[in-house]
Amino acid sequence: MVLKIIKDFVKHVIGRIFSKRSNVKLGFYGPPNGGKTTLANKICKDWLGEEMGQASKIPHETREISIKEKVNITYKDKTLTFKIADTPGIATKIDYEDFLHFGMNKTEAKKRAREATKGVIESIKWLDDMELVVIVLDSTQNPYNQVNITLIGNLVARKIPVLIVANKMDLRKSDIKSIEAAFPEYPVIGISAKNGNNIEEFYEQLFEMVK
Amino acid sequence: MPHRCVKCGLVYEDSSSTLLKGCSCGSRFFFFFKKQETEEEIKNLTKEEVIEIEEDFKEILGPQMDDKPVILDFESIRVKEPGKFEIDLVNLFKNEPLVYKLEDGKYIIDLASTFQRSNKESKAKKKGKR
Repeated sequence: MVLKIIKDFVKHVIGRIFSKRSNVKLGFYGPPNGGKTTLANKICKDWLGEEMGQASKIPHETREISIKEKVNITYKDKTLTFKIADTPGIATKIDYEDFLHFGMNKTEAKKRAREATKGVIESIKWLDDMELVVIVLDSTQNPYNQVNITLIGNLVARKIPVLIVANKMDLRKSDIKSIEAAFPEYPVIGISAKNGNNIEEFYEQLFEMVK
Repeated sequence: MPHRCVKCGLVYEDSSSTLLKGCSCGSRFFFFFKKQETEEEIKNLTKEEVIEIEEDFKEILGPQMDDKPVILDFESIRVKEPGKFEIDLVNLFKNEPLVYKLEDGKYIIDLASTFQRSNKESKAKKKGKR
């Protein structure tokens, strides 16, 4: 009951924030390898016909903020315009040795570590520019970690609405319920950005938050 | 873990009864800070590694780094050796200046530049756009 009241309140506040907005600044945030770029690519492919960036199994593939202006998304006869920002993954530790396992040489791995560290700073810098943030989490991973908790806590402090995406629902180890249990105050949508599973529900929730 | 008296700056080690009694200066307020468990490793850096680390940070911070002053009492990003970074997200999110620790006693600080857009500025900007 209390949860419902909080959710209704959040919905009401969000509704007011976006009531007069037509170009919503939408940021994709989260830890590395959650699927931020894959989801941003899926959206851009659906509505612009082109991808946003390159996704990879190697962590910290996205090391610079990437922006797509004027992405018109239509859901149930309603069209909204978004400015989409795909951000580098936020991490507490970046070690070049982790990249060596992916066949990189030491120089390349160190360069990637340096750029990834810079990327974390950039992501945080841009946070205040966002009007709505989609946090993309890998649903096969434990959601209780410093990155997720610090990120969500700071979004709340900045009064930026949050939608949590539990990505990789197509994988056997996916556990969407653990993400819902970890962050019960926020809407959580299970999807597979790679296969497009549940993407309609994602759009529905997005529109629900912006309307 | 160590604590530092907010008023006089005296440092007390873990489990110190002073934390309960208060500092010799009379204050009962302390900063909690992380023990520098990696200091030994950092001290063993070769000259070449230190140069490499400095180059890393020059690239991360950009050209404005050279004229920045030094010293503060927190660290947002620590480097153990070239290519290995530890990031204190709590500090980063606070929009405080960044402090990079290169080796024992040697720091690089990016004062306001990393977070030029403070919360206040950002709010003003958002307000202006509406």
